[in-house]
Amino acid sequence: MLAPFALCGCSGVQSALDPAGDESAIVANLFWVMVIGGAFIWIGVIGTLLFAISRRERPVSDAGAGRLILWGGAVFPSVTLLFLLAFALWLMPGLRPFATPADASMTVEVTGKQFWWQVAYRLPDGSRVAAANEVRLPVGKRVEFALESDDVIHSFWIPALGGKMDMIPGRRNRLSLLATKAGTFRAPCAEYCGTSHALMAFSAVAMEPSDFDAWLAAQAEPAAGVSGEGREAFLRNGCGACHRVDGTEANATIGPDLSHVGSRKTIGAGILPNTEAAIASFIANPGAIKPDAKMPAFGALPAAEIDAMAAWLKGLE
Amino acid sequence: MIRINWKHAAVALAVLPFAALLFAWIGFFNVGASTGHWKITDWFLHFAMRSAVRTYALAVNEPERLPVEAIKPAAGHFARGCAICHGAPGEPRSPAAMNMLPRPPDLSYSVGEWQDAELFRIVKHGVRFTGMPAWPTQNRDDEVWAMVAFLRALPDLDVGSYRELAYGNAGAPELHTTSFGGAVAECGRCHGADGAGGGPATPLIAGQSEAYLAASMEAFAEGRRASGFMALPAAAVDAAEIDALAAHFAALPPQRHDAGQEVAQDRLERGERIARAGVAAAGVPACLGCHGADRNPLYPRIRGQRPDYLAQQLRLFRAGQRGGGPFSHLMTNAAKGLTDEDILDLAAYFATQDDPGR
Repeated sequence: MLAPFALCGCSGVQSALDPAGDESAIVANLFWVMVIGGAFIWIGVIGTLLFAISRRERPVSDAGAGRLILWGGAVFPSVTLLFLLAFALWLMPGLRPFATPADASMTVEVTGKQFWWQVAYRLPDGSRVAAANEVRLPVGKRVEFALESDDVIHSFWIPALGGKMDMIPGRRNRLSLLATKAGTFRAPCAEYCGTSHALMAFSAVAMEPSDFDAWLAAQAEPAAGVSGEGREAFLRNGCGACHRVDGTEANATIGPDLSHVGSRKTIGAGILPNTEAAIASFIANPGAIKPDAKMPAFGALPAAEIDAMAAWLKGLE
Repeated sequence: MIRINWKHAAVALAVLPFAALLFAWIGFFNVGASTGHWKITDWFLHFAMRSAVRTYALAVNEPERLPVEAIKPAAGHFARGCAICHGAPGEPRSPAAMNMLPRPPDLSYSVGEWQDAELFRIVKHGVRFTGMPAWPTQNRDDEVWAMVAFLRALPDLDVGSYRELAYGNAGAPELHTTSFGGAVAECGRCHGADGAGGGPATPLIAGQSEAYLAASMEAFAEGRRASGFMALPAAAVDAAEIDALAAHFAALPPQRHDAGQEVAQDRLERGERIARAGVAAAGVPACLGCHGADRNPLYPRIRGQRPDYLAQQLRLFRAGQRGGGPFSHLMTNAAKGLTDEDILDLAAYFATQDDPGR
C-alpha cells in the first residue's frame, strides 16, 4: 500500500534515483547495489531462520552447528563487507573529483543567504555574470562550484546531479558536477537555515553547450525589456537600494539580482511560478509568502503601480 | 473573663477583609479633595513617593550630558502640557490646579530638590495617586531627557526668555485650534513660521515633501509614530487641517541646515559611501535608492536636514521604535545593521548635501 508513495521518490525533478549527472549516477549505482545485495542477504537470513525452527528427525550435530556459525556468521559477513568497502572506496574518486582539475573554463559562485541564492558565473577572462536563484550548466562539461554563505549554514544539493555540499560562513567549499542529460531539476536547501528553510530552493538547468553559451552571452547584457514601462515605478519606490537590474541605475547586491528575472523558472527562490501575478503578490507582502524574508512589504503602494512593476520584471528575460 | 488565644486572633484576621469591604461599601470614607489629607497621611504619602522615586532612579541610565540643544521643543511641550498645573515664569498656576490634592508644585522652586535621574523617572512614568501623568510614549527617552534639561534651565528663566523659548513668535498654545491660522501657529511655535526653527534637534520642515508631512502628522496624531512633543499639537489640530498644513509648509522656501561646526572629511566620505552603496555585509541598503531625486513622495527628503535630528531618527529606527507613515517599516529594516559611527557619518553627510528637488 505504501509502495506508490515510496516510488514517488524514484523519479522527478528532485530525485537522486533518476540521475542526470555522473556523480548522481554513481550514487544511484551504489544505492541499487546495496539494495539488491541487501535483499539477497535478507532472503538468506530468513531462510536460515526457517531452517532453524523447522522440525527435523534428528538435531544438527555440534560439528555442523560450529561450521554454520563459522561460515555463515564470520566468514560470509567479513568477505561481503570487505567487498562492499572496496567497491565504495573504488567509487569515491568519481564522487568528489578534487584531484582532477575541473575544466577551468568557468566557476559558478553560489552564496547562500536567508532565504535565497546569490549566483555568479566567473568566466576565464575574469568577467562576472550575476544571477540569482537559478543555476545553469552545460551538458557534458565539468563545472566547478565555489560555495559560500553570508549568514548561517546552508547546504547546496542538486539531487539529480550529485551529492550535497555545505555552505559555511567564512569558508569557500568546492564542488564539481558534470551533467550528462539536459533538463530542469529542483535543488532544495539541505541544511536547516531558519524559518523559511523549507521555502528555499533553486532550479538547476542543464543545457546543450551551444544553448548554454548563447544563454550566458545574453545574461551578460541588459534584458531587452529593460527600458519598458514599470521601470520608473521600480526606481521611484527605491527597489534599487537592494536589487540590481543591469541597464538601470539599480546596482545593489543586498537582494537578488533581477536583471533577467523574467526568464527564471520560479519566483521567490523556487517557491512560486514565474507569473506577473506571483511577482505582484511577492512585492505586496513577501513575509506572507516567505516568513522572515528580509524584503519589506510594499503593499501600501497603489495596486496599479505594483502591477506595472510586476509586468516590467516579468518582461526582463 | 475571656482569655484571648490564637483562635480569636485567627477569626479576627479572617473577618478583617470583610469589615474593610463593608466600610468601603457603606461609603463613610471621604474621598473629597476639599479637606486635604490628615497631616500624618500627607507625610506618609510624600515619604513613600520620594523614597520610590529615589530607589527607581537608581536604575536610570543617565546620558553623559543633558541635551541642552533640545530644550526649545521641550519648552513648547511644557507650555502646552505642564504649565497649567506647575506654572511658568510670568504665569502662576491655574486656580483649578491650586485645588488639586496633592497641589502640584511650582517647579521654578522645587525642581532643585531632585537629581536628574529622579526628574527623568517622574517625567517619564508620572506619579500614581497624584495628577502627574506619564510621558505620552514610553519609547522616547530622548524627549524625556530634553525635558529634564529644560527643567534645569527653568528656575533661571525670566518671563521674556521663557516666552521666547516656549512660544517663539506664535503666542501661547491653544488646547484645540479650529482655524488654519491657529494650526499654522501651533506648528510654528517650535518649527518657526518659516519651517526652520526649533534648534538642532527639531527637523526642518520647509520644503519637505507634502505627502510625507501629511502622513507624518497623521501618524503622530494616531500614535503610530511615538513622540510626546508631537502627539499633543498633532491632536490639537483638526484632522481636516492636516492636508492644508502639509501643503503650506511644503510650499515654503526650503532652508538648509546651517553647518555650525566643521565636520571631518573622512566622516563625510564614509557617510557618502554608505549613502550610495549601503553596507552589503550588514544588510544596509543604499540610502539614496529611496532618498535620491524623483522618488516616492512618501519618502522624506533628507538632504540638507539637521544632523542631530537625522541621527536620532536613525537610532529610533534601529531600535524599532520610530513608527511613522505607510513605509516607515522599510527604514526599520534598513537601519538594523547600522553602527553608532555609521549613523553619525550618514547624518553628517546628508546634512551637508543640497537637495536639487527641494
